[in-house]
Amino acid sequence: MSEQIIESSVADWLRQHPAELVSISAETALIDIVKTLLEHDSRDAYVVENNQVKGHLSFNKLLNHLFSHDRPVHSHRQLFARVAAATAGELMDPHFAYCREDEKINQILHRQLQCDVCDLVVLAADNAPVGVIKLTEVVRESLR
Amino acid sequence: MTEPLFLNLGLLLVTGLLLSLVAARFNLPRIALYALAGLVWSQDLLGGVFDLQLGNWSVVLTDTALALIAYLIGGSVTARQLKRLGNTIVFCTVGEVLGAATLVFLVVWLFLSGQAGALLVATALAVLAASTAPAATVAVIHEYRSRGPLTTSLLGVVALDDAVGIILFSLLLAITTGTSITGAMSMAAVEIGGALMLGMVMGWALAFFGHRVRNPHFFLPMVLSAILLSQGLAEIWHCSALLTAMTLGFVARATFKSGGERLLAPVEYLEELVFLVFFTLAGAHFDLDVLLSGVELVIIYVVARVLGKIAGTNLAARFIAAPESVRKYIGLGVVPQAGIAIGLALSLVNHPVFADSGLLIVNVILASTLIYELLGPFATRYALLKAGEISGEQRYE
Repeated sequence: MSEQIIESSVADWLRQHPAELVSISAETALIDIVKTLLEHDSRDAYVVENNQVKGHLSFNKLLNHLFSHDRPVHSHRQLFARVAAATAGELMDPHFAYCREDEKINQILHRQLQCDVCDLVVLAADNAPVGVIKLTEVVRESLR
Repeated sequence: MTEPLFLNLGLLLVTGLLLSLVAARFNLPRIALYALAGLVWSQDLLGGVFDLQLGNWSVVLTDTALALIAYLIGGSVTARQLKRLGNTIVFCTVGEVLGAATLVFLVVWLFLSGQAGALLVATALAVLAASTAPAATVAVIHEYRSRGPLTTSLLGVVALDDAVGIILFSLLLAITTGTSITGAMSMAAVEIGGALMLGMVMGWALAFFGHRVRNPHFFLPMVLSAILLSQGLAEIWHCSALLTAMTLGFVARATFKSGGERLLAPVEYLEELVFLVFFTLAGAHFDLDVLLSGVELVIIYVVARVLGKIAGTNLAARFIAAPESVRKYIGLGVVPQAGIAIGLALSLVNHPVFADSGLLIVNVILASTLIYELLGPFATRYALLKAGEISGEQRYE
């Protein structure tokens, strides 16, 4: 990866590669979240309330629930989620990975890979979401 | 001479795993082969030849494994999901649990009347009749791609009744430790109330520290530590260990506010190990003399449990005017019985109150589980077929 990309700050990156955060409410149905993710060609949705990120939902996790009838084995948790039609707020992970605008790209790449997040949310000082770093964009830029 | 703990445990688990490979190769029910592996090491067979002793270590192992299962069941549902389950699932669960427990209790009590400990055995078997086998039900539903009101209700009922079974079992243990009716009731109140409070505090603490942990690899040790500590505290404070673990799971998930990937998923990976332990240990407790003396009891238990579940769900479904397919067939769908019943029965073996009857109960539950394992999936399939939620040829390829 080039020095230029590695050394650029998250704020600089967002200016050059603006990307829209896929934000949803806690009550959004899973099928609607998947549709939104497909529309935005994204794999990560964030539950946002009062301009604060409350949690994260990955595309794979959503599909795991949506296609639960194709899963031959269920844990009790998956059974209840299937029968009670879980919402975004019940499935989201409140322990999501994020980064700040003043961080360097090389500081966040490892976090993104370790947490298996394609679209990493960027939070401002007041914890309001200001954008996302798309891993695919970083890779595309570095290969260029 | 000290017991070769690791050797005994290792032999049981390795035999179980090897036979599970055979099960996978020939498409046989794997838990039946886990039990067979334990049976190979029972005192009547190789266990007697090599002097394999099931000492205190098996008690510790069973109790720990049960605590893990109780934690998972407690954390499997949120209060909001419970509210959304709907009347059909809740009432049918209550109906099948009460129906099976009542009929098993009455029939076993009448059958054993006049014998010492009849009331105790009847009560224990009645309580153990509550739980079912979600894995077997899900496997049939998946195999035949069944969909409809009966399928949905069935999935909800098999998820919920294990929790009800554990609660009833905790009540049974709490009540049987008292020496008089009033003593038993006050003892039960302390055990249950204490367990709820302890579970709540531990669950809150687990979620509190969980929020401060970034490294995902820390979650499994953190959850295991919390469960073990809560079990230890429950023991010294005379609280119900199973209810403590269940409340811990429920409160931890509610406080952590998530789908449970971090606090529950790591323990879910251990579930297969837990069932391997339950079934091999239960198999190793197999005693031919005890089983032969209780063959009629096994038959009575199997029949009474099935009839109780059918009658209980039918009454409950009528009460809430559930769809006809649910009313007629859900009882047959909840016939399978598996790991939870085995684990709960095993925990009675070394319980002082069940010193004379624990082994009989384990053998009855083990034998009945094997029968249900063979017949249960057919009953579930028949129920779904009759309800029109699968067609005869439809099968998942």
